[in-house]
Amino acid sequence: MLNVIADAIVFSNLLALMALGITLTYMTVKVANFAHGDFATVGIYFVYTLFIVVGVSQYFLLPFAFLMGGLVASLSYFLVFKPLVNRGVGSVGLMIASIAMDMIIRSFLHIYSDIMQLETKKIFRGFIFQDFVFQIYNWTLPGILVVSTILSITLILSLHLLLTKTKMGIAMRAAIENPNLAEVLGVNVNLVYAISWFIAGGLAGIAGALLPFTMVSDPEIGWQILLRVFAASILGGLSSLYGAILGGYIVGFAETLGIYFLSKPPFNISTAYRPAISFMIIILCLLIIPEGIVSVKISLKMPWRRKQ
Amino acid sequence: MIDIIRLLVDIIAFYAIYLLLSISLNVEYGYAGIPNFGKALFFAAGGFVVGSLTSRLLAPLAGIDLHQVNFKIYNVLIATKVSQYLSGNILLALTAFIAMIILGAIMGGLLGVVASYPAIRLREDYLAITLLAAGELARIIARNYDPLICGTLGVSVPDPFAWLPGIQRSIVQAGIMMSIAVMVWLLVERIARSPFGRLLRAIREDERAAEVYGKNVASIRMRALLIGSSIAGLAGAIYAFYVGSVHADDYTPIRTFIVWVMVVLGGAGNNAGAALGSLVYVLSDRIIMQVKYYITVPFDINYLSYMAFGTLLILVLMYRPKGILPEKPSLTIDFSKVISRLREEAEASPEGSGG
Repeated sequence: MLNVIADAIVFSNLLALMALGITLTYMTVKVANFAHGDFATVGIYFVYTLFIVVGVSQYFLLPFAFLMGGLVASLSYFLVFKPLVNRGVGSVGLMIASIAMDMIIRSFLHIYSDIMQLETKKIFRGFIFQDFVFQIYNWTLPGILVVSTILSITLILSLHLLLTKTKMGIAMRAAIENPNLAEVLGVNVNLVYAISWFIAGGLAGIAGALLPFTMVSDPEIGWQILLRVFAASILGGLSSLYGAILGGYIVGFAETLGIYFLSKPPFNISTAYRPAISFMIIILCLLIIPEGIVSVKISLKMPWRRKQ
Repeated sequence: MIDIIRLLVDIIAFYAIYLLLSISLNVEYGYAGIPNFGKALFFAAGGFVVGSLTSRLLAPLAGIDLHQVNFKIYNVLIATKVSQYLSGNILLALTAFIAMIILGAIMGGLLGVVASYPAIRLREDYLAITLLAAGELARIIARNYDPLICGTLGVSVPDPFAWLPGIQRSIVQAGIMMSIAVMVWLLVERIARSPFGRLLRAIREDERAAEVYGKNVASIRMRALLIGSSIAGLAGAIYAFYVGSVHADDYTPIRTFIVWVMVVLGGAGNNAGAALGSLVYVLSDRIIMQVKYYITVPFDINYLSYMAFGTLLILVLMYRPKGILPEKPSLTIDFSKVISRLREEAEASPEGSGG
């Protein structure tokens, strides 16, 4: 049971980091970005390649995953999404473009891993990262649990500080809230959006680089995780970063604990149904509370407001 | 020589399937403006109906008692037995084929009606994610719930054309598939030019304006999804018969995206565009399949073609957002003809208007 909870925490940490990114990109360009999972996969493969070349623990290579994920994300913003937005392409067009990005990146990674597998004689599909163990008294904690928790708390806190305390972050929020007004007030909206995409891609890259500690990874893993991340950000309302974090933890726990209990008697459901829980969350959430859990809070406040 | 005929037959058969799929997306997205990112789901509906029912329904006729054999393990054998039985009874074979594809279309249409519930309420991008998730949900259930299509093993489909020898069988089958596709094309083209088709476009352009004129937007959208999804279900059923087996993992979102590539590339709202888009895709895909064995590269060439299609899609969105063959204004009555006819009538009658 403790194992399951540890799994749930790790999975939720990663989902929350990725859901933050999807929400951030959705808030800037209004695109449901289907290529977001591939930013994570790029992080995985960059770290894995460096690991083979350099040979240090993957944990030390995480900053590179951040940089690489961010680079790919901001490049896709500059090369694809910004030109399309400037040409007035609607939300469906942007979504199709993001799927095209996904096809390009994913196929590139397939080709890359095929070639590398041949060149280096190492496994490039279906690999996992070797983890280490923390020993505290007679408790053994898996490294991924400690690292991912500390990392996601630090990243979320620093994003919060960036958005609320720095000039840059306030410019970001202003540009997201009202791009035209921000532009008039001297904010370089384009640069600010590019930075948002960089941060989003970087968070995905880090989350991705941690994925092989818990799951067998191949070029498809980003795509497989993507709909779960969408579940998290949709539950968070796709318009609130804090909602995305909350959504990440709810979806992560619902999936891990849900399948744990469902696979036991009296249900005896196969664990292969695990992703189905997230998909159900997406469908139910959109049909019942399409604005996400953030909207539930507001509707609960309503009676209190009327009293005043 | 045989090889080229086989390749041609294969291209025609796949072209028929993708033509149906792209027409169905064209009805939904091109005419009605509903972004259906769950095409794989409706395609799978037809496939699953054929896969799960054909053998089971025909087995008793072929003298197999389904209570005594394990369908999951022996489904290939049962399908072979049923095919043998059907090869001796052409009429039954064709009836079964037609009945099953109609059933597949009905199943797809039913799912389309269900999908209209979110389609009426949700914003475009939310609807896309919902349908995509629904498709993946269906795929996961089909893969793990054995009684449906035998889980991960997949189910084998009896061959309704087994009474024809060798290559003739494939030619006849591809011909039938292509003629079904052409019939559907003509039907959809007719729908698109009817008042209903213009109504669909009116709703796509401005929902509120259509509502002001007293049109029931919700019901029209439901009908568009019903038509589109039943075509997709039909395509799924035909595909299952052509491939001869149904595997859950054949219905991944990538199939949906390929259909989107075709429609966006060719031109949304124009069936000729959808046909061109699917022709480009099917030709390149099938030819790559053949060429693959003669070229030695250290990776799968398919991925290279996916990358090329992704780049092409982005370029089309940027530089030709209406596709290669853009939508044409809908054909209405030719007014010059009407005027000349009125004039003729006025000339014919001496008590014309002052003339």
